[in-house]
Amino acid sequence: MIEIKNTSKTYGTGENATAALKDVSLTVSDGVFIVLLGASGSGKSTLLHIASGLERPDSGSVNVDGTDIAALPDKELTAFRKEKVGFIFQQYFLLPNLNVDKNVKMGADLAGNGGYREIIEAVGLGDKLHKFPSQLSGGEQQRVSIARALAKNPKVLFLDEPTGALDEETGRQVLDYIGNLQKARGFSMVMVTHNANIAEIADTVVKMNSGKIVEMAGNEQRKTAYEIGW
Amino acid sequence: MIIRPKDAAKLFGISIMCFCAVLISTMFLNSNIDMARIKDQITDPDALLLHDMVVSSGKMTSAVTGGALALTTVVILLFYVKHYIDTHKSELGILKALGYSNWKIARSFWVFGLSVFTGAALGFGGAFALMPAFYRQMRSDELLPDTPLRFNPILVMYLVVLPALAFSALAVLYSHRKLKRPALELIRGTSNVRVKKAKLNGKQKPDAPFLRELKQSTVRSRFSLVFFIWFASFCYAASVVMSFSMPEVSSDMMAVLMAGIGIVLAVTTLFIAVTTVIKGNAKTIAMLRVFGYSDRECARAILSGYRPITYVGFALGSIYQHGLMLMALSMFIGNDALELPDYSFHWQACIISFISFVVMYEIFMRVYAAKIKRIPLKEVMMEE
Repeated sequence: MIEIKNTSKTYGTGENATAALKDVSLTVSDGVFIVLLGASGSGKSTLLHIASGLERPDSGSVNVDGTDIAALPDKELTAFRKEKVGFIFQQYFLLPNLNVDKNVKMGADLAGNGGYREIIEAVGLGDKLHKFPSQLSGGEQQRVSIARALAKNPKVLFLDEPTGALDEETGRQVLDYIGNLQKARGFSMVMVTHNANIAEIADTVVKMNSGKIVEMAGNEQRKTAYEIGW
Repeated sequence: MIIRPKDAAKLFGISIMCFCAVLISTMFLNSNIDMARIKDQITDPDALLLHDMVVSSGKMTSAVTGGALALTTVVILLFYVKHYIDTHKSELGILKALGYSNWKIARSFWVFGLSVFTGAALGFGGAFALMPAFYRQMRSDELLPDTPLRFNPILVMYLVVLPALAFSALAVLYSHRKLKRPALELIRGTSNVRVKKAKLNGKQKPDAPFLRELKQSTVRSRFSLVFFIWFASFCYAASVVMSFSMPEVSSDMMAVLMAGIGIVLAVTTLFIAVTTVIKGNAKTIAMLRVFGYSDRECARAILSGYRPITYVGFALGSIYQHGLMLMALSMFIGNDALELPDYSFHWQACIISFISFVVMYEIFMRVYAAKIKRIPLKEVMMEE
């Protein structure tokens, strides 16, 4: 479980200071799927980065299974990410000089996951093991980044606009695939998006505006991307 | 203007190279021109012999130093242009997409020549500050008549103006060549990775750990970085070993001057190369750290692959400087029918240089890697 308590974050100083997060608190229970929804500049990505240990808050705490990761030294924070966290980014961030197999292996080796090729098969890239990122479409690259994140068996998966760079159909496939996997494997998932239409695929929707949580609502029944007509 | 003078300011390494090259070349060429004016006044055969020897030595030093440094500067300049285009490809791609022609963009690269001009002008000025002492040292055995120090404007043209123009033109032409890629390719940044042909026949190597594969792949796929770090090690060995070998063939003052310049050049080149290698791999290191690889694992996988290449560069640089010295001695001094100075490979200098190289390389790597580590992960990953 992740408990974010009274976290604030400001970028810049003096006249250029911008408050990205203002005293935000949020709990991510085990096995839930939370969507952080908001316009650009609402603070959702900052909250995701702080919850995942990519950034430190200026104040407040981020407790993960009883440990305040905001207070951990770099070395232990790295170990935390290694053991517990998976990331999927809008820009994929695949290593361009490694093929699909090796990019996924990057995540798998951290968890000692020798069976990572099953995940590559599952994301539909079994026949593209030896292709390099530059030889893949955007949707395929995103699926590689999904496989890479899942191959390290994360306890929490953080997704930053995972469908932002994809076309509608591919985005729908990717969302449904991740949603199904999350249900099957039971890890927690926090996804940032500005697309209000996809909120219904999550257990909880957190709406943000100007660095604050303005609304939080649960969905009784999660829907697929196809069901919500996205 | 697309490239700003601020970007050219980053080329301080080139300025230092040019400063050293022009400083040495100006001192010797100016003294050679001045000495040519007094040759008619020399009647004593011993003095004439000494005059010819000093002139030959000047020709050799200018040719070796100027030539080697000019070549080094060309390589570094081309590398910088390529590196600039690689790191700013999306902006350049957008400009192309907006309708800027390759020539229009490439023309902005002329400012890279400013670094050459700055270094050369300072080197020229510095030479005139040192020349009174240099002229006095030449006359120390009182065999040669008094040689008045004169300002020879032709040298400004050959050593400052023309190199600056030539390097500006080179930067423009090379950038134009590198910009000949579709705008979209530049924006997406999809073309700078060498892709290994996929193995489809099932004859794959047994699975190696990811970090080992990454190490091999990093070195194989970044040819320009590999070449640059190799070249820097090569230059380091050539400059430092040659500097320490100079006392055997030149005066004490020149040996000290050459050693100082050699060390400055060697350290500068190595520093530029190491920082470029780390910057060039910063994103990969950041990605590995995001996923939870430790700093030690990142260094082992990404940076240690370059180490053997530097050793090879150092060995070849040492051999090269020895060959160059032998060739230069026989070409310039030998032609004047003067006895060749006693010169042999300086093992001691080579070993000391190697130890200093290893220490310097490791210090630069560690200090700069620590500096990169202090930059927030988000910042490294988001910078495009």
